[in-house]
Amino acid sequence: MVPHAFFRTKKYFRKKDNVRMLLLLVPGLVVMGMFTFYPIIKMFVMSFFDWKIGYNQVSPFIGIENYLTVFSDPIAGMALANTLFYAVVTVPMQIILGLLVALLINDIKKFSVSFRLLYYLPVITSWVVVALLFRYIFSNQGLLNYLLTDVFKWIPEHIGWLSTRWPAMTAMTLLGIWKGIGWNMVIFLAALQAVPKEYYEASSIDGASSIQKFFYITIPNIKGTILFCIVMLVIGAFNTYTPIAVITGGNPAHQTDVVLTWTYYQTFSSYRMGYAAAFSFIIAAIVAVIAIILFKVLRPERM
Amino acid sequence: MNIPQNPRIKSIFVRSKRVLSSPMLIRYLLLLLGLTVMVTPMIYMITSSFRPNSLTFAYPPKIIPAISELTVENYLYILFKQNFFRYMLNTLYVAVAITTLSAIISSMMAYCISRFKFPGRNILYGMIITIMLIPGLAMLVPQFELAVKFKLIDNLWGIILFYTAWVVPFSTFLIKGFIDNIPKELDESMYIDGGTVFTIYQKVIIPMASPAIAAVSIFNFLFAFEELGWAQTILRTDQVRTLSVAITQFFQAHNRTDWGYVFAITNLSMIPVIILYLLLQRYFISGLSSGAIKG
Repeated sequence: MVPHAFFRTKKYFRKKDNVRMLLLLVPGLVVMGMFTFYPIIKMFVMSFFDWKIGYNQVSPFIGIENYLTVFSDPIAGMALANTLFYAVVTVPMQIILGLLVALLINDIKKFSVSFRLLYYLPVITSWVVVALLFRYIFSNQGLLNYLLTDVFKWIPEHIGWLSTRWPAMTAMTLLGIWKGIGWNMVIFLAALQAVPKEYYEASSIDGASSIQKFFYITIPNIKGTILFCIVMLVIGAFNTYTPIAVITGGNPAHQTDVVLTWTYYQTFSSYRMGYAAAFSFIIAAIVAVIAIILFKVLRPERM
Repeated sequence: MNIPQNPRIKSIFVRSKRVLSSPMLIRYLLLLLGLTVMVTPMIYMITSSFRPNSLTFAYPPKIIPAISELTVENYLYILFKQNFFRYMLNTLYVAVAITTLSAIISSMMAYCISRFKFPGRNILYGMIITIMLIPGLAMLVPQFELAVKFKLIDNLWGIILFYTAWVVPFSTFLIKGFIDNIPKELDESMYIDGGTVFTIYQKVIIPMASPAIAAVSIFNFLFAFEELGWAQTILRTDQVRTLSVAITQFFQAHNRTDWGYVFAITNLSMIPVIILYLLLQRYFISGLSSGAIKG
């Protein structure tokens, strides 16, 4: 039984330990309180004002007008749609491909570590770097168009990948998937190795096929990990800023903006702080709702 | 091994023996195919950085250029005509600072949340989870005001403090999951031997949770290397820029022309990360963060 500070004082638990525990908590409380709790509350307050950042400027209270503006703004809707598109495509694809690679690597005996190291390479490469690389590869005279038209001859002429909305968003999702596979692979490999071997042996004796084993043994045993990956990847998708900022900058005409690039633009190019705060708050609420739904639907045993 | 006499089971054993090598072969082929897709862009980036700028837009593009085309001129330009070492130093300073700060802060907090019942513990933990869901950049406006107030604009500490605050919730969450699995008897025996909360943190929690702390630290270190949005907001002058800001600025200044320079600077920026990766590969590819989550 471990002593509980404040509530119970076991004979070997000294009162001074309450103070010591508090000292361990204080740095975290200060840093988070100052730089995240406070800004969140402040953001909520700002979303009801026509907020001015300038010195000595008055910020009038305007009620829910910022929220109404956001809801009637087609670009805000487009930014959210782009983010959701990115999430809906990249999250399942990363999980499926990451799990596939993990299953393949889990079964092989030689070169397993080499494969892991190389598949993980895009994960450690920074977003700015891979975004520039993909901008180069997806340019009109770039490698991808060359491969598609001249090498494989799948399409007759070059695609202007980055100059219109959906091709550009496709390029973004391809980048997201490519960069994320390695991370998912590593997480799933750890989960696969934790599945007891006896389950597979027993099912072999019962004559189960590999596909049956996958659906009746592997999937139920790694369910918690899959949920963890989905939640982390959805959060990651809403956190996407760098690739859009570097590759298209939201162009043409904000058609490729995602929620964070749009917030950034509203804050530092249009100086509509109240609008940006309201928009951010709506996004935060959407992410929270998605996370709650995921937990309810997928229901992990422990987490 | 005795092959069972039941014909159905027997057939499984025989079949698996006969075709043993061919599924293996298919596995390796699939993995190699995937690897080609994963690694080709990387190879392309490396080879392009060794070609003269005039050739980086030549059509058709070449993944493997001719030896006669290769040049190190791009690297010399970046290393000696640009402020590269300053950017690298700034980035390493930020990365080391947030890694250290968040490892200390989040392990201490994770220990308290995992081991003690104190008033407001569940509220604190709930808030940590909630903050994990909100993108750091979404709080841009109030955080920017805060940075202005504390005179943190154009100051590396302006990004160190905020990055730390952004990564602490997730780090705490993962380390707490790991500490929950450390047997409580270890704490107890330390108490009986006259240990305090501090000695248990130092002698039990830190050593036992070190795999989780290491995994989290790597994650945070990489974060410092790649964050762009906040860094470009705070760091206005060239002297304080981190690599991701400097690379973006450099790219915009040499827009659509000097890809050789761009890839030289991106490749150089990756060197510390690659070194770390090779030294600590065990922690990178072991999926420890998942192990921590399941507890």
